[in-house]
Amino acid sequence: MDNRGTAATVRIADVTGPFANAIIILSLVLAIFAFVLAIVNRTRPLAILVGAAILEMLLLAFFVGGIVQMIGSDHDFARAEFVGYLLACAAVVPAAVWWAWGEPTRASMVVLGIAFLIMPILVVRTQQVWAGPSA
Amino acid sequence: MPEDEGSSAEATPARATNRGFGRVLVLIYGIFALAATARSLVQIATKFNEAPIAYLLSAFAAAVYIVATVALARGDRTSRKVATVAISIELVGVLLVGAASLLFPAEFPKASVWSGFGRGYGFVPLVLPFVGLWWLHRTRPSSD
Repeated sequence: MDNRGTAATVRIADVTGPFANAIIILSLVLAIFAFVLAIVNRTRPLAILVGAAILEMLLLAFFVGGIVQMIGSDHDFARAEFVGYLLACAAVVPAAVWWAWGEPTRASMVVLGIAFLIMPILVVRTQQVWAGPSA
Repeated sequence: MPEDEGSSAEATPARATNRGFGRVLVLIYGIFALAATARSLVQIATKFNEAPIAYLLSAFAAAVYIVATVALARGDRTSRKVATVAISIELVGVLLVGAASLLFPAEFPKASVWSGFGRGYGFVPLVLPFVGLWWLHRTRPSSD
């Protein structure tokens, strides 16, 4: 069991690892961008929408990669929780963009900034659930 | 104050709970609704027998967050009352569960977003109801 667990942990680092790292870095960059936009009172530019779309594509790849790896793995972890985190990862950015675009003031950019900030937390939690024993 | 009003009052109803800062507040409530719901679903589905009361409290917290989120997001007159009730329950809940989880740790094995006054979530669950009630007070209709 230990060997299989280790092998599986290595494999998620091989496949979803680069996506996870890219998601974390891009989220933080976009969060800073959003908060700067809020400070200078420039709301809802196209650039941040494009950034959010790229981030969402990475998150969808993370979702698909995570599901594929889960199916291909027999190591012991909380699978329902893992799928829940993958779904949350994929859902937060579109929901936040929709919610932000209904707001004409700088608060819209704060909404996006906070949503981008929680993405690294969600991604790391997803990986912890994958790596950890099923609780 | 005047600066705040100026930046959020342009094309928006001044007293809506879902505009300006309220937009951000709804997002944060939404995040906690999602986190608490997901957490309690996992707890109840996979290990309900370990701590049924704590996990039911978890589900209750999730429901309170969902109601508060939707009510703040809608922002009409009835929703404002619903939000006030929900956030008041949230405040009592986080204080009671927070205190109980410290006094009787065996009964609350890190079971809900309210355990340890929301310590696992950077104490945001403790601050959130105060901010929510302040926001409802600040945006209250003058006729109330």
